[in-house]
Amino acid sequence: MKASSYRLGLICLLLYVLLIGSACAAESDEEDEDEITFRDFSLNIGDRVDLDDYQMELIEIQSLRDGLVVMRVSRVGGSLDEQRALLLDSPNNFDGGAEKGGVTITITDIFDEQSARVRLEYEQKLGTPRKRASDRPAAMPEKPELLVQKSFDRNEMHVGDEVKVTITIKNTGTGTANDIDVQDIPPLPEFTYIAGYPPKIKETLDSGQSDSAVYILNAAREGSVQIPAVVVSYADSKKNSKSNSSEPFSIIIRPKSKADLVINVEDTPPLVLDEEGLLNISISNQGSASATRIEATGEVSPSDGLEIKGLDKSFFEIPPGDAANFSARISGHKRGIYTIRLKVSYDDGDGSVIREATSRAVVLKREYKYQYLLVIIPIIIVSAWIYRRHREYKY
Amino acid sequence: MLNVLMLGVGQCGNRILDAMNKEAFGGGGASKLAKYYLRPKFPSRVETLAINTAVNDLKELRFTTAKDRLHVPNLHGVGANRNVGKQAFMENRDMIMGEIEKRGDFDIAFVITSTSGGTGSSFSPLLINELKRQYKDIAVITVAILPFREEGSIYLQNAAFSMRELMEVDAEGIILADNQYMKRFSGDIASAYDKINNMIAQRLLFLIESLDSEMLSVTDLGDFKTVMNGGLRIGTMGFYQADSKNLSIRDAIENSLKPGNLLYPANVADDAARAMIIIQGSREHLDVDEITKAVEKLSASAGHVFKGIMVKKGRPKILSVFTLASAPELEGIYAQAARAMQEEKEKRTRARKQLDDAFAHIEDLEEIY
Ligand SMILES: Nc1nc2c(ncn2[C@@H]2O[C@H](COP(=O)(O)OP(=O)(O)O)[C@@H](O)[C@H]2O)c(=O)[nH]1
Ligand SMILES: [Mg+2]
Repeated sequence: MKASSYRLGLICLLLYVLLIGSACAAESDEEDEDEITFRDFSLNIGDRVDLDDYQMELIEIQSLRDGLVVMRVSRVGGSLDEQRALLLDSPNNFDGGAEKGGVTITITDIFDEQSARVRLEYEQKLGTPRKRASDRPAAMPEKPELLVQKSFDRNEMHVGDEVKVTITIKNTGTGTANDIDVQDIPPLPEFTYIAGYPPKIKETLDSGQSDSAVYILNAAREGSVQIPAVVVSYADSKKNSKSNSSEPFSIIIRPKSKADLVINVEDTPPLVLDEEGLLNISISNQGSASATRIEATGEVSPSDGLEIKGLDKSFFEIPPGDAANFSARISGHKRGIYTIRLKVSYDDGDGSVIREATSRAVVLKREYKYQYLLVIIPIIIVSAWIYRRHREYKY
Repeated sequence: MLNVLMLGVGQCGNRILDAMNKEAFGGGGASKLAKYYLRPKFPSRVETLAINTAVNDLKELRFTTAKDRLHVPNLHGVGANRNVGKQAFMENRDMIMGEIEKRGDFDIAFVITSTSGGTGSSFSPLLINELKRQYKDIAVITVAILPFREEGSIYLQNAAFSMRELMEVDAEGIILADNQYMKRFSGDIASAYDKINNMIAQRLLFLIESLDSEMLSVTDLGDFKTVMNGGLRIGTMGFYQADSKNLSIRDAIENSLKPGNLLYPANVADDAARAMIIIQGSREHLDVDEITKAVEKLSASAGHVFKGIMVKKGRPKILSVFTLASAPELEGIYAQAARAMQEEKEKRTRARKQLDDAFAHIEDLEEIY
């Protein structure tokens, strides 16, 4: 352990000696003759490097993509004042370049739209170049940033439902976004298009501005649908093009929502001739959509002998989960068994539907409530009689 | 309408009375339940009363209402002892007569009894006297049942003495039925009794009906009394129903008088004093010529013959009632009874003598301790 740290220390010392050594060697080179030397500077826009009476200023990063940087080189006294676009990695000579007593400038790297690395070559005798940072604040970078969002007004729907799709673009960056182009692929064939497609978004959006477009689709086929992302492409003021896309998501399309009416006609207890009874009817909507224009009509077979009042009824609407209840008055004028057929027609949201239900009513001849007495009373009378007779002969 | 009192005295009398009630329900097996829905249908107003000292005998009855069963309380029964029976009757006379009186007035009474038992044979003569005393114009007919001859000396003796008493009382007459004579109808005693009782009941009902109906040729209570007053005032009844093979009315009448169809063995041709022939049947069977011929033939031997004809749907039925000028069979009973009594007496003296002889052994001895 001790031995290894000792060795590390030794290596460091060695490296140190070597570095000092090489530095001393370079120093000695410069001082020997009018050698050409160079210095690299990292410059922000507006920064300036002064050397002798040369002044070199970074004016603008003209194109990041093309590697074009604009610099202005001037000499105190006015003998040189030139603004030139410099191509990345190609040396540019001013006043004949470093070989001829001028300067040679090379853009060695562009960091971003605000800064670049610049190599300055010159004769040593010109002295030491110095960087003068711009005293004006660095101009805000022109960097538009578009956020794109695509949303459905609900993520569960039924076949046939209309759905509103909203595409929102917001410039959250700095600088104007130009040439905005929205690429949105509609989710076919699960939907059919209705209106508003393709979404229209402004071509330019200033920083902080937003725009949205809405279009309407109609759900056409049930299932789980993957909604593709919407892609927005745009360019900044320097024609740098960019793009962004929304998050893909999925929605569910359920089978078509329809009203489904279930009719229940209660069986009535047997009716006594010429007495009135109630027939209770319930029409309940067990579907997922409202039933509309509901018409109930009843008929009885055999057609005479049983009178029904209030069996024909109509309702405007029965919402899903709701029920309409009503009762009809029935009275029998003839003994028998009757079939009551209730026909209900309605619009289930998709078209006209007819549902039927039947019930039977029995009309009895007379009041048989005390019928059992007809049996019991004679039995009691006979038993009493026999008992009396038995007593009479019992000695 | 005739008011008829039917008294069944003693076990035998009770049972025959019960058989009459059963007959009034229609008879046969159906009558077992008929009492639950019908009233006994007698041809006249008939009151029945079963009198006995033995409660068990009364309980045995089936077709007689409880109110028509009169128990005469006597501490240990009468045990076939007529003297005990007579005393029991006298002690309860007012109660018995009161019970009868409740039933109203009567034109004729039938007293049905065995001659050989204790209760019936001792009560009946006394009862007849009381009836005669209480109801001035009542006709009283005794229906007396003679015992099986092998039933023992006491029964024979009772029969002999009670018959004498029954003949002495002021009744209209005695109708005899002889168990011994009818024994031939059945093997066992119980069913023989039933058969005999039913026969007697049927005939008595027929008789009542004939006395109280609108006859083609009338017989009435007066005629019947006249018949019963004839001869020894002892008579019996014969009965015959024509079968479908032979519907001849003449044959039917003759058959009703044949010994086989009588309740008591008698020779009608030789012994009959007076007779009454009651004829019932559909009009087409009632050939007056035939009837006349048959009746004339009977009249030749019997002194007088009454005839009554009832027109009623069915095969001819004949009831013949007659009294006897002589009763050899009855004499036989007395002879047998006397013999039995004599034997009994001798047996007793012999036994007494044996016992006395036995006592003789200790005659002069004292008890030594
Ligand atoms: N025909 C007939 N004879 C009977 C009947 N029961 C008992 N006897 C006769 O009547 C005699 C006995 O008399 P019973 O009436 O029993 O005695 P009581 O009850 O003391 O008067 C006997 O000779 C029996 O044969 C019966 O139901 N029918
Ligand atoms: Mg007895």
